[in-house]
Parts: sequence; C-alpha cells; structure tokens
Amino acid sequence: MLTLESVSKRFGGLTAVRAVSLEVREHDLVGIIGPNGAGKTTLFNVISGYFRPEEGRVVFAGRDVTGWAPHDVCRLGLTRTFQIVKPFGNLSVIDNVMIGSLTRVTSVRTARADAERVVETCGLAPYASARAKALPIALRKRLEVARALATRPRLLLLDEVMAGLNPTELGGLVDLIRRLHAEGLTLIVIEHIMAAMMRLAQRIVVLHHGEKIAEGAPAQIVGDRRVVDAYLGEEFVLAQA
Amino acid sequence: MTALSRHAGALVLFGAAAVVPLVVRDAFFLDSLVLILLWGALSAAWNLAGGYAGQVSIGHASFFGIGAYAGAIMVTRFHQGPWLGMLLGVAISIVAGLVLGFLSNRLKGPYFALSTIALSQVLLIAVSRWRGFTAGGEGIPVPFRPGFATLGLGHVAWVYLALAVAILYYGAEMYLERSRIGYQLAGVREDEDAAEAIGIATRKLKVIAITVSAALTSVCGTLWAQYIGFVDPAYVFSVDLSVRFALNSIIGGLGTALGPYLGSILITLLETYLRATFSGLKTGFTGLYLVIYGAALILVVRWVREGLTGIAARLRVRMAGGARGARAHA
Repeated sequence: MLTLESVSKRFGGLTAVRAVSLEVREHDLVGIIGPNGAGKTTLFNVISGYFRPEEGRVVFAGRDVTGWAPHDVCRLGLTRTFQIVKPFGNLSVIDNVMIGSLTRVTSVRTARADAERVVETCGLAPYASARAKALPIALRKRLEVARALATRPRLLLLDEVMAGLNPTELGGLVDLIRRLHAEGLTLIVIEHIMAAMMRLAQRIVVLHHGEKIAEGAPAQIVGDRRVVDAYLGEEFVLAQA
Repeated sequence: MTALSRHAGALVLFGAAAVVPLVVRDAFFLDSLVLILLWGALSAAWNLAGGYAGQVSIGHASFFGIGAYAGAIMVTRFHQGPWLGMLLGVAISIVAGLVLGFLSNRLKGPYFALSTIALSQVLLIAVSRWRGFTAGGEGIPVPFRPGFATLGLGHVAWVYLALAVAILYYGAEMYLERSRIGYQLAGVREDEDAAEAIGIATRKLKVIAITVSAALTSVCGTLWAQYIGFVDPAYVFSVDLSVRFALNSIIGGLGTALGPYLGSILITLLETYLRATFSGLKTGFTGLYLVIYGAALILVVRWVREGLTGIAARLRVRMAGGARGARAHA
C-alpha cells in the first residue's frame, strides 16, 4: 500500500532522514519509535507531502506521490495528524470534523451526518458543539484523530496522539486505534510510550539519527542490542525481564 | 436558529434603509445613508478575503481605485457608459486580485499585509505619473448625465442602488457561510496546515477568495466614483481607505455577513459627527476629531475583539444559558 524507497531529507547540512525504506501492506499497524530528533515527524512530513525528499520515492496506492501537495495525497486516501495538534480553534468540534468530511462529499447535510458518526465513534459526542480550543488536550488529540478519520483515509498516520495523556485517557485512545484497525484501517503510529506501542503495533520501526536501525515484531525489537543502546536503555530491558 | 432570527439584524438594518428615503428628504441625511451602505458593501467585499479566508489585506484601495478610474476614464475619455467601465474595472481587478492571491501563497500574515500596501502604492504612483491617460494627480471630474445608464441619479435612487448592492453582498456571504467552500475557507483561516492535511486545496481557495473580493470591491469603486463625481489617485489608492475597509469589518465582526455593515454605521456616523462637532474654524481645534476618532477605535479594538456581532452572539448565549439554567433549577 505504501512503499518508501530509500528516502532522504536534508535541511542544509543536517540529514534528518537518511535512506529510509519501508513497506506497509494493507491492514498493517506499524509503529515508529526513536529518540527525539530521530526524524520520525520529518518522515511523516515527507510521506504526507509537506516536505519533498531530496532522494528516493514515496509510492502510495500504486502512484508515485513524491512531491505531491498534501491535499492531493489526502484525497488519494492518506491522512496524517499533527504531533502539536492543530484544531480549527474557533469552530465547534462537529464543524472541525465536518470540514474533513467535506473532502469526500459535496453536500453539507451529508457531511454533517458523516461527521456526527465519526464524532460518536471517537467518543466526542458530548462535546460536539463545544469550541475546539476550549477542549482539554486529551480531547483535542481525539479531535485530531476524528477530523483525519472524516476524510475516510485508507492509511492513517498518527503522530504522537498519546503523548501527555493520563493512563485512563491513554487506554481509551489505544482501544479506539485498535477498533479502527479491526475495522480494516491501515495505520502508521509514532509514539514514545513503549507500553502502548507494545500492545498496539504488529511491527515496529526504529529510527535513530535519521536512519532505520531496526524493524520487526515488538518482542524482537526490545531484545535488539542497537535499539536498547540507542533508545530504550538498560533499565527498560531489566524492567521487562 | 430559524431563518428569521438568523437574518433579524439584516432585516432591521436594510429595512430601515429602505424606508428612510420614503420619509426623509434631507440631502445630507440621504448622503450619509448612501455612504454607510457603500462603505458597508466595500467592507463586506474586503471581509471575503480578510474575514472569511483570513487573508488580511491593507491594500484593497487598489481594487477600489481600479474600479473608480475604470468608470471615470470610460465616461470621460471613451464616452461610454459607466457600466461598461465597471465591467472593465472588474476585469482588471481580477487580474490584480490573482497577483495578490499569488502573493498570499508566498507571504504570511504581516508580510502579506505589507505586500498589499505595496500594490496600492504602485498603482497610486503609476496613475499619478501617467498624466496623458489618467490626468495624473489632478484627478478626473466625472460629468453628471441624468439617467440610470449613465448613473446620473438623485439621492433617493442612489440609496436604493447602494442598498441593492449591500443586500446582494450580504446575501452572498450568508450563503457562503453555510456552503462547502465556506466551511473549507474557515478551515484555511483557522489553520492552513491542518486544512491542507484534510484534503483542502488551500492555495487555490485563497486565490479564489482574494480574486472575488477584488472584483466585488471594484464594482463599488465604480459606483462610488459616479456618485461622488470626482476621482483622484491620492484618495482612491490611499492606505486610509484600505484601513477603513478593514476597520469596518474588524469592528463589526470579522468573517460575519452583517459585521461590515454594523461597523460601517458606527464608523461613518462617528466620523461624520466628530468632524461636524470638533473641526472647522469655530472650535479652534482643527483635527481634534481625528484624535477622538482614533481613541475610540483603540477602545473598540482593545475591548471588543470579536466586534459588534460578537457582543450580540455572547448576549444571546448568555440569555439562552440563563434560560437553561433556570429550567435545570426548576
């Protein structure tokens, strides 16, 4: 479904992403982890069209989308969320989500009905008419997911939607992502919270200094020497044992 | 909200404007009314780009001037009707609007605003220098030829013409607010990156909004020139004028259909009153009206951020909330 062929992105002298290749198949749930500055978000920006890579190709749904505008990538079925959430602050929750629906349907009435379903799915129904900027962070993260879902993506890229949530909120979001996956959605998830990642991902990709240093099943990854050195640390391994 | 209550403000406002000429024949009063409606419509045109799309321009006098000059030159130099000039003005403004739209995709926020000022200044200089064609800085008196085709109308007819334009612009924005493109524009205004991520062609949408806004501004520019009967570059391309379009909307309520008209009423009346009271030889404080005018604007912008329509909405919410609260306690 999505193929990255040796993608590199440089900012001046700094190589943020170096020759990363990745294959995501239909119905995968792939996790991306790595220390701060490893290039995770940059990789998302390249995939979703915000950055044009200096080298390599991004192929989605059989089309070479390298250098496409983000809105065209979205219309092809690939939607991303932002790590620093970007709600339409002065609009209501339902309007936020409805603007996503309007990418797929032209009728405002149909879009509103669609949006109501998505809002319900994401557990935002009680806040449907609240202004987005009045929501606490946990709900704003959910809104970010809801708005992306409303565009009916085939592949959803979630950038740290769980960061900064308390355990209850976290559990709710993990359940939501699992449910979406069970319904047939393909996902790539960037996350720092290893516990959540272990429960969620079928496959984990580890980035370090812009390079992919490991890829495999969660159990495999936590045992990988290079991953422990670069990211997890000895204490994590001891805690797991 | 029912359709009636959505349009209640507009019904009162435009209804009053329609009735006044039947009752009042005072030329000064009718003149103020024409100007309130024209400034309101101009501000509504500005609001399309500045309010709905969030592309704040301080150079909309460019399109106003293009419309004004297109009409005046068409009449005086080519001996055609002003309506043809209006059409030509719209065509030129669309081209200039596309240029500005392109700039909006390169420059953000204050940088975009500055580039819009630059556009109006370039036009000001060009029209001032091109004496052979535009009569330069002296300006062009537009002859009064009675008739609708020549826009040689009396005060009462002007009120109704300006009112028709005002209602048309208001209706268009009211429709826009509930339309697909209106919601998408709101997304662009709130956060361009997020809008782009959910499939909105943000660049194209901004260009469309700015270009339509330019065309609507140009139409009013032509009307204004025919109404006043004189155009000169220093006024029609001035930053003052651009600021006025923006201010009416900001004070009335950005990105609302009625806001520009409310702002226009307040500003136009305030200006007229202050000028009449505090200027002239008798008072000995020539220019004091500008100080008071400026101070009043600061107060509004400082304490009534959401504009007049914002106050109305807040009152409505408070009243509805009060009613709900009472029911909960019952």
